Amino acid sequence: MGQPSDTRHIEDNQGALSVPDGTLQPGQVLQSRYRILGIIGLGGMGAVYQARDLHFPNVTRLCAVKEMINMAQDQKLREQTIRNFEREAEILATLNHPAIPQIYDYFSFGDRAYLVLEFIQGRDLEALLNSTDGFLPVEQIREWGIEICEVLDYLHNHQPEPIVFRDMKPSNVMIDHHRRVRLIDFGIAKMFQIGQAGTMIGTEGYSPPEQYKGIASPAADIYALGATLHHMLTKRDPRLEPPFSFDQRAIKEYNPNVSDVLASVIMRSLNYDPEQRYASADAMKQSLEATGTTPAVASGVPNALGSPGASVPVAAALPVVANRPASTPSDAGIGNITPIWAFQAEDAIRSTPIVVDDTVYVGSYDNNLWALDAKDGELRWKFATEGGIGASPVYHNGTVYIGSSDQRMYALDARAGRRRWSHKTEGKIFTTPAVTMGTLYFGSDDGRLYALKSTPTSAREVWTYSIMVPLRSSPVVEDDLLFFGSDGGEFLCVDLSGEMKWRFQTRRRIMSTPLVREHIVYVGSDDWYLYALDIEQGYPIWRYRTRGAVISSPTFADGKIFFGSADGNIYAVDALSGRDEWKYEVNHPVTSSPTVHREAVYIGAVDGAVYALHSRTGDLLWRFQSQRPILSSPRVANDVVYIGSDDCHLYALQA
Amino acid sequence: MKLIRRLFGQQAPETPSSLPSTESPEAAEDSALLKETQPLSQSAQPVVQTRRLTPPKSYSSTNRRVRVGAASDIGGRGNNEDAALTLITNTEVTGNPPPVGIFMVADGMGGHQNGEFASSITVRTVAQAIIREVIMPQLEERDMNSADQKTIPEVLAEAMSAANTAVQLEVPGGGTTATCAVIRADLAYVAHVGDSRAYLITDGNLELITRDHLLVRRLQELGQLTAQEADAHPQRNVLYRAIGQSDTLEVDAATRRLPPSSRLLLCSDGLWGVIGDKRINEIVAKYPDPQEACDQLVAAANDDNGPDNITVVLVQMPD
Repeated sequence: MGQPSDTRHIEDNQGALSVPDGTLQPGQVLQSRYRILGIIGLGGMGAVYQARDLHFPNVTRLCAVKEMINMAQDQKLREQTIRNFEREAEILATLNHPAIPQIYDYFSFGDRAYLVLEFIQGRDLEALLNSTDGFLPVEQIREWGIEICEVLDYLHNHQPEPIVFRDMKPSNVMIDHHRRVRLIDFGIAKMFQIGQAGTMIGTEGYSPPEQYKGIASPAADIYALGATLHHMLTKRDPRLEPPFSFDQRAIKEYNPNVSDVLASVIMRSLNYDPEQRYASADAMKQSLEATGTTPAVASGVPNALGSPGASVPVAAALPVVANRPASTPSDAGIGNITPIWAFQAEDAIRSTPIVVDDTVYVGSYDNNLWALDAKDGELRWKFATEGGIGASPVYHNGTVYIGSSDQRMYALDARAGRRRWSHKTEGKIFTTPAVTMGTLYFGSDDGRLYALKSTPTSAREVWTYSIMVPLRSSPVVEDDLLFFGSDGGEFLCVDLSGEMKWRFQTRRRIMSTPLVREHIVYVGSDDWYLYALDIEQGYPIWRYRTRGAVISSPTFADGKIFFGSADGNIYAVDALSGRDEWKYEVNHPVTSSPTVHREAVYIGAVDGAVYALHSRTGDLLWRFQSQRPILSSPRVANDVVYIGSDDCHLYALQA
Repeated sequence: MKLIRRLFGQQAPETPSSLPSTESPEAAEDSALLKETQPLSQSAQPVVQTRRLTPPKSYSSTNRRVRVGAASDIGGRGNNEDAALTLITNTEVTGNPPPVGIFMVADGMGGHQNGEFASSITVRTVAQAIIREVIMPQLEERDMNSADQKTIPEVLAEAMSAANTAVQLEVPGGGTTATCAVIRADLAYVAHVGDSRAYLITDGNLELITRDHLLVRRLQELGQLTAQEADAHPQRNVLYRAIGQSDTLEVDAATRRLPPSSRLLLCSDGLWGVIGDKRINEIVAKYPDPQEACDQLVAAANDDNGPDNITVVLVQMPD
């Protein structure tokens, strides 16, 4: 079993960099033939020297002299060590390949044995990588990978039995002065150290998991080559990462220059299961070669959507909805799915729809609150306010409540859309009311939070809570407490009698609507953070920093919090620790708020698309493209996703 | 104002109306505006930007407090390379700041005295950071409810990273595990590197809440080794992550809510590796006093000829 030479035991660490006693000095001559010029490197068992071959006095013939000092106490171990070293010499002597250094000589005396090898001028890949700012050219790394495959294939087809290199890693690959690959350090003489007591530190780096069962097959070299290429491309040293965790470091995340196909070739070679890797170095070589001939766009990678070609221009598939105020846009809704129906309002829909008893209610900047048949989008009724509607409706006991930028809160009969009452504030209303025990709570741009007692015919102000800055964050009620944010960046907890319990100060305004879950309140701020605050006293439990305003309101499912950010990402983080779960890159601001339904997260983005992502992995399930940015948030009812767009449509999409 | 509040506590004349207007530039303006628009019996609160100070809770019995036991023993080794720390602030002052606790176990490794230096430096560095960034602001009555205040997970991550740097600089040949729990109110924030462990014990159930950064455990997770193979593996003690071993340190972080009467147990592998989860649970269940439970746990590991240092910290949450 091979002991990886980069495994560090703390006990061995001391003095590892100092030159041990007994190291040959420059000028010393071995076998009356090899004059030591200096040390190239120090290994666990001795040094490697640069030497000059004195049999060629008229020319400078350089060679590498590899020393093995046998320090084993145990007699059996001593013999084993010597046998291994001899074996390395014998194997090298039988090999003939341009990427393998030639062996010139082998001799031993006392405790020491020596191999004399061709001296290779150049640098090893590790040194090359460390001295490069930024990334090495991808194409260069790919070519080296192909050359390494060739030499591994040669070794693996060695007769009478295959040779497993066992120690493929950047520091064992030299790039010579012809820029050709040369393998050095045939690490066959590595001994497995046993019987170490106490806790030790070790990193596996490049070796495959099966080595721990004592298996060293050609597949191990393929894994180690994959690990080497992964390190070269990502500049992430696997010795500093958890063992066998390459699959957690997608190559493209670190180096966008790498094509999907090249990344997939490398990831295949890094499979835990040797059977799932390439069957031979030659097969891997062919795959690497093929990556050069295909364009950098994904070709060998299976389509995450599973159904390429499913995108159909929706115009052809859009059912014609009767009573629509205007015609369907001709090329709306291009994406992977076609809407069940689309309803066109007269202006942008940023309001979040609600679905109650087969009716969808949604507000629009065309001043109307629309009530539509959830099945086919047919108009049930509309109610015109005197200003654009950016707020979202709420349904309670047969009444739909909606705020408008005409500064009024309206209570409408849900069946017919008749006004029950309206209540004037001093500012535009963009918040969605929270309704509990017959009382309505909402904020207004006049800087006040209103508590209105609602009856079927009238509303009475119970109290208002003034904070002098516009309120765009909708209040939520939980445990008889109200939670909301303000344009002043303050987040407030107020009880139902209007008395402040606590506050939390963020650095910029709060547009996000809070979410309360298991004694924690979550809210986003324009200061780029999503906060998780203690419900009792308001101190932060954690916060998650994005790179843009978090206007999106968080949602909870399965122990995770989901939200979007203006930085162009959709995030899933652990609800209790704030730890990353996954992130989906939209590359356009996401101010829409997610909703989760049956392991799918639905959310809109400013690129005009609605995304359906797997809630566990963040994988894209489908995407629906509208014509204009989507600032509305989705609602799901009966497996249908309802969402508005700035292209004036409300879309009904199959969940 | 502050002085008066400190001297007289709740007796200070602290009605909102008597607050100087400098407290909130918006307050005067605000109440004027309220008069105009508020024809209501139950008037809105004027803006008071300080948190209300509620009278301190009294602790009628010890079971209302967070309690802790701790023990560290040389076990079957020549020196004790483990380190531990416990600290609880059960404050009974105005404002009722929640109790805060720091609990740590570190298991050092390396030749000579490197192990004990590494674990001690780590424990000291982390505790200092938490006292500075979490406990002191609370005692100084700084506004904890502000984005200017670091969260506990942030403080912990920085503290572990500072410990990593300190060990690299001061103990080049050493390394250490570190399992640290900061408890505020009923939430435990755990930061962890290595193979020391944290368990949550609720209603007689013992739950491991940390992951051992052991090479064989990783192989087991990947299905490459069975549990038996892992336990018998010659490299079963090899860690793949520890403090002081590389410039960058990845720290596991977990946050758990601690139910009433639950217990949080931190220990080095000298305990769990010798007596196992089942016996740990039995002993903890048998001794209600956390200190006695710790002493008995150490005794059990020694009785089994445990070859390593044994360190245990047991936190008992209030009923």
